Amino acid sequence: MYTYIVRRMGFGALTVLGVSIIVFLIMRVMPGDPLTAIFGPEGMTKLTEAQRNSYMEELGLTDPLFLQYIYWIGDILTGEFGRSFFRAESVGEMVIRRGPLTAQIAILSVIFSWVIGLPVAIISAMKPNSIIDNVVRFFSIISIAIPGFWLGMLIILGLLFWFGYRPPLTGASLFENPWTTFQMIIGPAIVLGLGQAAYIARMARSTLLEVIREDYVRTARAKGLSGKGVVRLHALPNALLPVITLSGILLGFVLAGSIPVERAFGVPGLGFAMFTAVNERDIFVMQNLVFLYAMVFVMLNITVDIIIAWLDPRIRYS
Amino acid sequence: MTSIPGDMSQSPSQPLPKPPSLLSRMWKGVREFTRRSPMAAFWGVLSISIVIMAISAPIIAPLDPLKADFRAMGKAPYEAHMFGTDQIGRDTLSRVIHGSRTSLIVAISAVLLGTTLGSIWGLASGFLGGRFDIISQRIIEFLQAFPDLILAMAIAMAMGSGTTTVIIAIAVTRIPFGGRVIRSVVLSLKEMSYVEAARGLGASNLRIMALHIMPQCIAPFLILATTHLGVAIIIEASLGFLGVGIPPPTPTWGNMLSDALNSGLIPPWWLVLFPGAAITITVLAFNLFGDGIRDALDPRLRGSQ
Repeated sequence: MYTYIVRRMGFGALTVLGVSIIVFLIMRVMPGDPLTAIFGPEGMTKLTEAQRNSYMEELGLTDPLFLQYIYWIGDILTGEFGRSFFRAESVGEMVIRRGPLTAQIAILSVIFSWVIGLPVAIISAMKPNSIIDNVVRFFSIISIAIPGFWLGMLIILGLLFWFGYRPPLTGASLFENPWTTFQMIIGPAIVLGLGQAAYIARMARSTLLEVIREDYVRTARAKGLSGKGVVRLHALPNALLPVITLSGILLGFVLAGSIPVERAFGVPGLGFAMFTAVNERDIFVMQNLVFLYAMVFVMLNITVDIIIAWLDPRIRYS
Repeated sequence: MTSIPGDMSQSPSQPLPKPPSLLSRMWKGVREFTRRSPMAAFWGVLSISIVIMAISAPIIAPLDPLKADFRAMGKAPYEAHMFGTDQIGRDTLSRVIHGSRTSLIVAISAVLLGTTLGSIWGLASGFLGGRFDIISQRIIEFLQAFPDLILAMAIAMAMGSGTTTVIIAIAVTRIPFGGRVIRSVVLSLKEMSYVEAARGLGASNLRIMALHIMPQCIAPFLILATTHLGVAIIIEASLGFLGVGIPPPTPTWGNMLSDALNSGLIPPWWLVLFPGAAITITVLAFNLFGDGIRDALDPRLRGSQ
């Protein structure tokens, strides 16, 4: 087990290093220099040569690329993650202030996806190709096709129209006033959870159908266990492994999906910060946030792999 | 056993039946596809209609999508403007129709570009193997460490706005999929005896890859391309919604939703409903048509999803 964890961590560290190089290459080396990204093509023509040079100097963009990269890694290691070009806040502070909201949305949405996805999967796996199964399948296909941010806008409009209710826009911490926070995160969590629930239901249904054909399930039935008992005690626990893996991967995609969804709901989380950074052309914030998101994604994958290896000895020893 | 004398009786002098032309073969294929999966055929017809709508947008659209009409600003749907108008009086219906154009051009070119690049990469890395393969696998792993949307956002932002930028940004997110799938196909193909035979005849690596391996990769390539169209459309819309897509005033579905949200505290419902419904219907049609194509081209995968 420990060798597995160490090996997995090693690969993870390598991936994070690779990710940092790719982010750096995208933000600093790709066509279009950072100043154009910040000031825009029109703003760029208004700058004089001297101004341009002094900005470049100030931002440390005149150093050789290799040095810039090293400085950036230094910034990451100190936990400051570079400074915003427009705001008096380092990216590290921004993450601490806004991150919790996004994290709460992500976790709540995963809980939702399980609460909705699993029962649906069990119902449709019990009666494959029945009417219920087909209805469920159709809804899961639709919920994959609906863009989350659009669903979010519709929910907000609907709530306003029918109930005259608008979720609070400025929030607080979970512990100071939990009710406000809950009202803020519930909408995005439902929208993001529905999207995941579709995948969870699909995956759980197909693994359940496989597991049900196994010998030990037949044995359990033969010894007189009821249908419900078989599902609860034998089929479901064995069908859950791929679902856990999928859930971990989906959680990463939820972090990305929360960017437009947070914008649609106006929730000031980290995704909204990313939206702001993109529109202010704040390449330093963007560079660090992209790196952070990718790093969280990698770490989630490692965590899920370790959980799976812990649950399933076949993986650990292969 | 009885069939053998029958075969013998056929004299070689009889004229052979003419091989069916490509057109009639295609027609037969379409009929077969419709018979086997009528639902997929329905979504296929819908997909093709959307493509036709995109191509003939200037003819179908009742009004100019860019022309502001200050006599009809922010109007809810009525006879003259079936889908209503936005804050400066542009016709929403025309903008939705024109939006399909941008959406499809971006999605189709991005998926083709990304899947092709990824497939060629996967083909080379699977066939050549060795150090090139190991390094390629690592790079693909790094690329997959980014959620699609975030990678596309970063690229779109760094390169500056424009249609080409958005296409490249989405294409890059599709490369790992092409690379992975085609590589695994090639790994099994490479062991086939006809490849060995070609090598025995002295064929070069390039020749084997181009003439013997590549044709076998066409079916998985088509499956990949069609199944990823829907995702590409959603990424394009999200980029537009986040303000890093194709710059205004070009009407795209994502831009329209973004404009609606920027228009005030409460966005008018018609500016939200129609562009989003267009995205959903298009993605639904492409996804289900793609599933049908996958089932038709690769029966082994049937019902796996």
